[in-house]
Amino acid sequence: MSAATEYDHLVRSEYEHGFVTEIESDTLPPGLDEQVVAAISKRKGEPDWMTDWRLSAYGKWLNMPTPEWAAVQHAPIDFQDISYYSAPKKKEGPKSLDEVDPVLLETYQKLGIPIEEQMALAGIAVDAVFDSVSVATTFRDKLAEAGVIFCSISEAIKDYPELVRKHLGTVVPPTDNFYAGLNSAVFTDGTFVYVPKHTRCPMELSTYFRINTAKTGQFERTLIIADEGSYVSYLEGCTAPQRDDNQLHAAVVELIALEGAEIKYSTVQNWYPGDANGKGGIYNFVTKRGDCRGARSKISWTQVETGSAITWKYPSCILRGDDSVGEFYSVAVTKGRQQADTGTKMIHLGRNTRSTIVSKGISAQHGQQSYRGLVRIAGKAEGARNHTQCDSLLIGDTCAAHTFPYIEVKNPSAKMEHEATTSKISEDQLFYCRSRGLSEEDAVSMIVNGFCKEVFNELPMEFAVEAQKLLSISLEGAVG
Amino acid sequence: MSAAALTTRPPDPALLAWLGQAGEPPTSADEPAWLAELRHDAAARAPDQGMPTQKSEGWRYTGLSALIEQGFKPQQKPISALQSEDLDKALIDGLETYRLVMVNGQFEPRLSQLDGLPTGVHIGGLAELIAQDPDRLAGQLGQIAGAGQHLFTSLNTANFADGLVMLLDEQVQLDRPVELLHLSIGLDEPSVAQPRHLVVLAAGAQAELIERYLSFDQAPYCNNAVVEIRLAERAQLHHYRLQQESPSAYHLSGLYLEQAAASRYRGINIGLGATWSRTDLVTRFLAEQADCGLQGLYLAGDRQLIDYHMDVQHQVPHCSSRENFKGILHGKGRAVFDGRVYVARDAQHTDAAMSNRNLILSPNAEVDTKPQLEIYADDVKCSHGTTVGQLEPEMLFYLRSRGISAPLAQRMLCLGFAGEIIDALGPEPLREQVTEAVGQRLEQSPL
Amino acid sequence: MLSVKGLKAKVGDKDILKGLDLEVGPGEVHAIMGPNGSGKSTFAHVLSGREGYEVTAGSVDFNGQDLLGLEPEERAQLGLFLAFQYPVELPGVNNTYFLKSAVNAIRKARGDDELDAVSFLRLMKERLKVLHLNDSLLKRPVNFGFSGGEKKRNEIFQMAMLEPKLAILDETDSGLDIDALRIVAAGVNALRGPERSMLVVTHYQRLLDYIKPDYVHVLAQGRIIRSGGKELALELEEKGYSWITDGEAA
Repeated sequence: MSAATEYDHLVRSEYEHGFVTEIESDTLPPGLDEQVVAAISKRKGEPDWMTDWRLSAYGKWLNMPTPEWAAVQHAPIDFQDISYYSAPKKKEGPKSLDEVDPVLLETYQKLGIPIEEQMALAGIAVDAVFDSVSVATTFRDKLAEAGVIFCSISEAIKDYPELVRKHLGTVVPPTDNFYAGLNSAVFTDGTFVYVPKHTRCPMELSTYFRINTAKTGQFERTLIIADEGSYVSYLEGCTAPQRDDNQLHAAVVELIALEGAEIKYSTVQNWYPGDANGKGGIYNFVTKRGDCRGARSKISWTQVETGSAITWKYPSCILRGDDSVGEFYSVAVTKGRQQADTGTKMIHLGRNTRSTIVSKGISAQHGQQSYRGLVRIAGKAEGARNHTQCDSLLIGDTCAAHTFPYIEVKNPSAKMEHEATTSKISEDQLFYCRSRGLSEEDAVSMIVNGFCKEVFNELPMEFAVEAQKLLSISLEGAVG
Repeated sequence: MSAAALTTRPPDPALLAWLGQAGEPPTSADEPAWLAELRHDAAARAPDQGMPTQKSEGWRYTGLSALIEQGFKPQQKPISALQSEDLDKALIDGLETYRLVMVNGQFEPRLSQLDGLPTGVHIGGLAELIAQDPDRLAGQLGQIAGAGQHLFTSLNTANFADGLVMLLDEQVQLDRPVELLHLSIGLDEPSVAQPRHLVVLAAGAQAELIERYLSFDQAPYCNNAVVEIRLAERAQLHHYRLQQESPSAYHLSGLYLEQAAASRYRGINIGLGATWSRTDLVTRFLAEQADCGLQGLYLAGDRQLIDYHMDVQHQVPHCSSRENFKGILHGKGRAVFDGRVYVARDAQHTDAAMSNRNLILSPNAEVDTKPQLEIYADDVKCSHGTTVGQLEPEMLFYLRSRGISAPLAQRMLCLGFAGEIIDALGPEPLREQVTEAVGQRLEQSPL
Repeated sequence: MLSVKGLKAKVGDKDILKGLDLEVGPGEVHAIMGPNGSGKSTFAHVLSGREGYEVTAGSVDFNGQDLLGLEPEERAQLGLFLAFQYPVELPGVNNTYFLKSAVNAIRKARGDDELDAVSFLRLMKERLKVLHLNDSLLKRPVNFGFSGGEKKRNEIFQMAMLEPKLAILDETDSGLDIDALRIVAAGVNALRGPERSMLVVTHYQRLLDYIKPDYVHVLAQGRIIRSGGKELALELEEKGYSWITDGEAA
């Protein structure tokens, strides 16, 4: 095949999910000060304690430096040029799908997420976030029967203030980092989950995030609490319409697992990465952290990151409880001018805590990717174990892949293993596949999928299929 | 991204004192202009390079306060209280070498043994050559290290007085290893010696260099050594570096290596001594088919800090590098390993592998390790691996089930772990000396 | 020489040995057979002092010494030897150095002089010859990179060097093909003697074709439920363990 022609053709393949939904929005003018923070809180009808919490976070944020150490580069962000609130113009949330704006439903269909079908076939409760406010929540009755609370965080602030107040900001405090501080001040919505003691959540919980209105930063806030002996699996999937301006996304996700509880958090992220010249695209600066607070608790992060112009995220686990377990499985693809600086932190504090890190990075064209990870084994973490595997696959000679692991061990009974490799798809592998009749592109896709298999295996079935499809689409045109 | 402001601060006056009378030649008024300029530039650069803080990546785990508190002063004049009988204690039985002895950073011809060098070989003191034939150093000295990794290289460049010069002509092969024996004696005023060594092998030359650092007493002092090595086409150097200084010594060492086509470097670093030590190994390939191997063994015990930093730069295609460092931590020992392999866009067919394995034997010991890969080329084979762990209970049990006591079993396993590195030391007497030193250390200090 | 009385042991919360009795006289070869999970390996490990097993009752007397109170190396020094089912790899630990350390530790404990390098080498060569082994294994790290057969042969070689009074062969036949098995068994037979007892722990009868036991015991559910001569092994081979274990249950 003529690599150059094929390359050119495929490079120009447009972003599959690039379209704009026309829907009326109630949007605050761009800018940020105390009044804006208070206005967000007021519009959402929040109690005073919440307003105060936001204002206090805002005060602290003003004095925080913007992080500069990640191996990513972007123009400075003007935080006064962002609108911090945008809600679909509807006073009341819909009670059923019939009440959901048909334009919205159409959007999901274009995205290949037939919401009804998914609900019917997979039994997934979908809490669809359109821009910043939840507009559709389903399967609530069934969850209520089990005692599981699954709602938007705005509702939770009103309906379960004691739960929110007790836990919000305890895993990611507003002072944690610049973007977490900003989020704490201005978050508009997000998801709240509470699973009561000894309860297995009867279905996979799922939220599809969409970023829509132009120039709207999205500041999601998610809080998941798994009480003693409970289990919950949460799926987060993202796609975004095409935009010319960079959009800032600075979400905060906090997970709390009490004694014997398990939380599985899976993400497929496919926001608009920008055009071939790197114009447009989402800035994805996320703080995700789980706290294994109780003994024998477990938190597992799985992520497939194919979108965004810049990704900066480190889903982490604090392994506080004895015998607690943290996992991080990641596939990240960077192509075009995408940059990703991602990884995890595993902080071992309790005895016999275990963590596993599997990171697979694929870089093509001018993609830049770094794995940055910290494994810290504290002096008291007797018998702690970590295994880390980070592999990078390079496609084309203009991309880059870096590995920056930090390993700190203070306990002699700890056992820590870290392995990393960087390689390209070998000619032999390609030839072998092609001699069996596969096109080069299919061969690459197959080899890459094999490279990522360990991570896909961790995803819930229906998500794994979507992730594989996404990966193949992402790599179209990346082979040359 | 100028994060520099956060990560350095102006150097402490105690360190700037190490600059000495920069630009003013310390040993001879006859220093050539290029050398005076080199010193002057370094002195001017030093304050700008600033003093690393624990926020700067390269010093994240290595604090400088203990070093600064000592208030080491540059050494004023040479001392030579050592007699050749004293020297015997420092020699290794059965090790036949061309020996250059330095006492507190000054070349001591009396104690050295350089008879019978073949033609095409120059081995001698740096000060001497600067005085006699400085042209031989032009374009070499200071050119390989350049601005260096940090402040400490500049301090050395500004103020070095003496060191080893080893120059081999084309195709020359030495019949014996060259031994650079660094002896330090505590002075009334705690002092810093800043020796500077230059090793240049012309095309096809081959040599073995043993670089040893030893203390003669328990008084505190500091060495801030810089070694520059340049290997021309097909040259080969085996370089064994043994740091066995006293528990009150401070040790800084920067090695800058430049390799031409098809040259081969094997460096084995053994770090056993000093209370605080920091070694930077910086290697650069100039042309294809060059091959660099860095190995190391460190043993950090009571209140010791041993820090190895590596910067392996692949700028050209078809070169290979191997880094293999192993550490044993006991007592309150602390070790830092920070290795970086950089592969530039053009450096296709790079083959690089880095490995760092640690045994941590005590609840008060700590290891911080950071093996990094930075890769901009696609057709490469790069990997790194790190482990931290204790001795396998299975292995201990197996040995004990054969009648071997638990402490001996531990020592045997530690020596087995270390053996891979020790075995890479070429001369057998050297291997024996290191094996014994490691065994003794393990025997004396409670694991 | 070995007297086991009412031995009970557990791993974690699980009782494995539930009152095991066994008497082994000097020079006798006893085979312990039993189905998977019957406690054979646990028994071998408890005798050699491996961690992770808790003895809850019973006693083990070895030539007048209470074995259970001793460290693993003390047991070895008294003359107990365990040939491991899975010999442990010791990277970087040279086989010869390892053997010399072990031989001398045991000699010292017995009050004999330690062997110098020359006499040790002589001894080693002599034992190699007895076992028809070549010396290629000696230069390598202990078991490191050895094939399954090499590992087992190395175990037997160690036994020859350490001259135990009681050798326990834990599933020595596992993972060996018939040729390797024959070599290993020949080695063991060469080491039989009036002062050396052996406990051969095995699941299958086939090892006993090569190492003929004086007594055969069947271990099931943590106890010896049947003892007999070597014909018992043949009977087991023919009828399977259920022949006895079912009878026991009934």
